[in-house]
Amino acid sequence: MVNIRVATVDDAIGMQACNLQNLPENYTMKYYLYHLLTWPSLSYVAEEGGRIVGYILAKMEEDVGPEDEPHGHVTSISVLRSYRRLGLAQRLMVQSQKAMEAVYRASYVSLHVRKSNRAALGLYKDSLGFTMSDVEKKYYADGEDAYAMRLSLKQT
Amino acid sequence: MAPAIPAKRQLPSKESTLFKELLTLYETRQLKKGLKTADQILKKFPEHGETLCMKGLLLTHMGRREEGIETVKKGIRLDITSHIVWHVFGLIQKAEKNHEEALKSYTQALKCDKENTNILRDAANLQTQLRLYDALVETRHTLLRLRPALRQNWIGLAVAYHLNGQLSDAKQVLEAYEKTLKNVPDYDVEHSEVLLYHVRLLEDLNEFTEALTLLDSNAKSRAIVDRRVIRETRARLLSKLQQTDEAEGAWRVLIETNPDCTGYYRGYLNNKGIIIESLTDESRAEATQILRDLSSRIPRASAHRRLALTVATGEEFNELAKDYLTTRISKGIPSLFADVKTLYQDPVKRDFVEKTMEELREQWSSPSSEPTSYLWTLYFLAQHHSYLGRQSRALALLDEAIEHTPTLPELYTCKGRVLKRLGDFLGAARSVDYARQLDGQDRFLNTKCGKYMLRAGLVEEANQVLGLFTKKDAASPGSDLEDMQSLLYLIEEGNAHNRSGNLGMALKRYTAIQQVFNDYEDDQFDFHSYSIRKFTILIYLNLIDWEDRLRSFPNYPEAALAASQIYVRLHDDQSLLASLTAPAALSDAEKKAKNKAKKAARKQEDPKKGVPNAQGNEDKGLEPEPAKDDDPDGTKLLQASDRLEKAAAWLAPLTRLTKDNIDVWIAVYDVAVRRNKWLQAIRALSHAQSLDAKHPELHLRLIDLRKRNPSSACAEAIRPAVIASVQELIPDEMSLDTYNSQYLQTHTTSANAILSCARASHRLEAPLAEIEDLVFTLFHADVDLDVKTSLAALAFLEGIKSVRAEEFRTACDSKFELSTVFKSQEELAALRQNGANGTVESETAQPEEVLG
Repeated sequence: MVNIRVATVDDAIGMQACNLQNLPENYTMKYYLYHLLTWPSLSYVAEEGGRIVGYILAKMEEDVGPEDEPHGHVTSISVLRSYRRLGLAQRLMVQSQKAMEAVYRASYVSLHVRKSNRAALGLYKDSLGFTMSDVEKKYYADGEDAYAMRLSLKQT
Repeated sequence: MAPAIPAKRQLPSKESTLFKELLTLYETRQLKKGLKTADQILKKFPEHGETLCMKGLLLTHMGRREEGIETVKKGIRLDITSHIVWHVFGLIQKAEKNHEEALKSYTQALKCDKENTNILRDAANLQTQLRLYDALVETRHTLLRLRPALRQNWIGLAVAYHLNGQLSDAKQVLEAYEKTLKNVPDYDVEHSEVLLYHVRLLEDLNEFTEALTLLDSNAKSRAIVDRRVIRETRARLLSKLQQTDEAEGAWRVLIETNPDCTGYYRGYLNNKGIIIESLTDESRAEATQILRDLSSRIPRASAHRRLALTVATGEEFNELAKDYLTTRISKGIPSLFADVKTLYQDPVKRDFVEKTMEELREQWSSPSSEPTSYLWTLYFLAQHHSYLGRQSRALALLDEAIEHTPTLPELYTCKGRVLKRLGDFLGAARSVDYARQLDGQDRFLNTKCGKYMLRAGLVEEANQVLGLFTKKDAASPGSDLEDMQSLLYLIEEGNAHNRSGNLGMALKRYTAIQQVFNDYEDDQFDFHSYSIRKFTILIYLNLIDWEDRLRSFPNYPEAALAASQIYVRLHDDQSLLASLTAPAALSDAEKKAKNKAKKAARKQEDPKKGVPNAQGNEDKGLEPEPAKDDDPDGTKLLQASDRLEKAAAWLAPLTRLTKDNIDVWIAVYDVAVRRNKWLQAIRALSHAQSLDAKHPELHLRLIDLRKRNPSSACAEAIRPAVIASVQELIPDEMSLDTYNSQYLQTHTTSANAILSCARASHRLEAPLAEIEDLVFTLFHADVDLDVKTSLAALAFLEGIKSVRAEEFRTACDSKFELSTVFKSQEELAALRQNGANGTVESETAQPEEVLG
C-alpha cells in the first residue's frame, strides 16, 4: 500500500531514480540534499514497499523582492506512470503546502511547467487550483517557454 | 604574546601593504590583479614564502594548476612555520578531495596559529568528513571558547558531542546555549529547529517526561513552529510514557492531518497494544473495528481500507476485499495488483482475490457493462497469474485485453514482463518498445523500454531509445545519464556487457557506479558547515547516518559483486585479457560500438578547448577539472595490474554494511584467498557458514579452500590458527571426493547444488565425462532447474571446454521453449533482425494523454 510521508535523506536516491525515470528535468544528488537539508519539512514522498513511486521536491523562494511575500516553490513533482489515478500528486502537494504555510508562513506557492506539458498543466490548474501568473521565455535548457503558476495559501 | 615574526617573513612597509592587498584581492577573486601584486612583491623578495603560496593559489584558480601547485610547494619550503602557507596548501588538497592530507596541512597551520578561527572551522569540517570525532569535539570546543557570542559555535559543539556518542554532553551544551539567548524573535525557524533537536536529544536519552515538557511549553509559546513534527513527537512521547488515552488523541490528530501515512495508523494501533505483525483473535477483531471506524470518519483516504485487508480474515476479509477490489477496478487504478499482492502470503486471501476477480471478469464481460472495467480486470488477472508462475495463462489474458483495447501501453509493458519471466528477452523488449511508441511523450515508458532492451542485450538500440529524452548537447545519451547519476542505466548496461562477455565495458559502467557513490559521499562535505549555520540539525544527523550506510543502498552491492567477479576471472585466466583486448576478438558490432565510444569521448573534451580567456581573470575554481575519458572501452580497467586490490576495495564497505548477504562473503573469500590473505578468507567462509551452512556456493569454496592447502601455504606465524579454523569449517578426516558426493546426495533436487558439485568435481580434477554426466542430471524431472542456473551451467561447460556444451544448449532450448537465451548465434541474429523490422504499425499508435 502506498504510504505518504515527509522525505528523509534515506529517500534521496529513490527520489532521484523516480525523477530520472519520469521527467526530462533531472538533478544531481547534491540538489536533492540541498532541498532536504535547508527545508526539511517541505518535501514528501509516496512509497510502496520501500520503493519511491512519487515525490514532491519543494523549497522556499530565497530571493523575495521588497514588494513580494514569502512563498514556497515546487522544484519538481512526479508520480510513476504505474501509480497514477490514485491522486498521489495532489496528496503530496497538499502536505507540502500545509508545511510551507505552517513553518514558513508562505502566502502562496509557485511552480514552473513546460508550455507543452498539457497533462501537468491540467493537473495543476484543474485538480490543484493553480492559476497562470506569467510566461517565462526560454526557461528550459532546450529553449522551451515555461508557464509560471501560483496558488494562494491564504485562507479565504 | 605572539611570537616574533621571523626575519625572512618580514616585509618593509610598502610590500607589507601590498601583501595585505594581495589577500584582499584573493578574497574578492580579483585574480589577475592579485597575480600582478604578488609579482610586484616577488620582484624584490623572490624568496618570500607566503607571497609565493598566494601566487600559487591564484595560478591554480586561473587554471594553471601544475605551475600553481609547484609555486605553493616552493613557498612552503621557504617558510615552513607560516600558517598561511599551510592553509593555502590545505585549501588545494581539500579541493582535490584529498581530505586526509588536507587535514594534515590544516594541523600544521594550527601549530603556527592556534587560534585562527577560519582554519579551525575548516579543520572541523575535515574532521567530520573523516569521522574523527574525538578531534572534532576538541576543535569545536576551541571555537566556542574563542567566539562564544556566535550561536553556531554552540550548536557545532553539541553536534560534535552527539556524533561522538556523548549525548548528555550535547544536552548540557544545548542547555547552556539556551540560557545565553535573549530576545529570540517570534517565529524563528532556526530557533525552532534547535528546540526540536533538544527534544529529540532528551528522547534519545530516554528522558521522555522532560522531552514532553520541553516540547509542550515551546509549542504553546510558538517557539517551535513545525506543527507536523510537534504532533509526531508528541504522539510518540505520549505512547512511550504510556499515557495511552492522550496518546490516542495525538495519533488520531496525525491520521486526520495526513490519512495516507501508514505509520500513523501503526502508531495508533501500537498505542492500543495492537501489533499488526502478531495479531491474536482478540486484537484482530479490535483492529478491524478501529479501522472500520476510521474509514467511516475519513472516507476519502484509502490507507485504512488497505490496512484492514491485512488485518481482517475470513468472512470479514471477503466482504472488505470484494468492495476494495471492485471500487478500484472501476476507477481503473493500474497499481492495484502491486497494492494487493503482499496479501498473497496468506493463500486463503490469495485464492479469494482470484475468485473475486474471476467473478468480476464474468460479470463485466457482457457488452452492456463498462468496457474499461473489463479491461482492467483482465490486466489485473494477467499480473496475478504471471506472479504465480502461470505465464501462458497470463499471455492469453493479455492477448484478449489487447484485442479489446489495442492502445493501452500498460498491456504491452505487462506482456513484456511475462515474456521476460519466460526468458524471452527479445520478445519482452519488443513488447515494451511497442508500449513506448503508443505514448512517445512519456519518459516512464521510454526508460522501461531502454531497460528491457538492455536486458535483451540490445545495447545500441537501448541507447538510441534512451537518447530521445537525454540532453541533446550531451556527448551521448549514456554520458548524460551518467552525469545525472542514473544508477538504473549504469547497472543495466554494465550487466548487459557482462552477459555478452564485453568485460571492459562492463567494468567501465560498474566503475561509474562506484564513482556516483563516491560523489554522493563527497556531497556531504559542504553540509558540515552549512547545516550548522542553518541550524537544521536533525536532518543533518540523518545525512551523516545515511552517508555511513550509503553503500548498502541498491546497485552498489550488485555492482561490487559483479566487478569483483570479473577481476577474479581476469586473475584466474590470464588468456582472457589477451582475448578481450585482441583486435580480432571484436565483432563488427563491437568495433562499431568502440569507435562510437571513442568519438563520444572526443566530443566530451571538445567544447572547452580553445575558448579564449578574454578576461584573463576567469576563476576556474580550485577543484581540478574532471579528468577526460581516456579509456572509452574499458581496456585500461581490464589491464590494471592491481585488479585484486581493486576488487577488495569494492567489497570492503560491504563487509560492514551488508553482513547478512552471503554472496558478499563468498566474494570476499574469492578475492582474499587469491591475495594469500588466509585469515581473512577463512573468516569470510565462517561468516557465510553462519548464514547458510548448506549454500551451494559455500560448498564449492570449502572444497576450494582445502584444495589450496592453506596450512602449508600460509605464513608460519598464523599456521596454528589457520589449521584450527579450517578444521572447524570442513573436517579433514574425510576425503574431498566423499565430501562432495555426500553433499550431492543430500541435495538431489536442487539445481544450484548439482551445479556446485559439478564445479567442485572439476576443481578436484574428476574426469570430464563424469562432470558432464553430473551436469546433465540437471534435466531430471524433479530438479528445480530454471533459466538462470541453466545459463550458469552452460557457461561452466563452455569454460571447461566440454564437447557436450552444444548438446546442453539445445536441451535447454527445448526445455525453455519460449526463452530466447538458449538460441544459437544465428538464430539470435535472425530474431534480432525481426525485432528491428517489426515495429508498431503506425496506424494503431494514438498517443494517449494520461493525467498524473
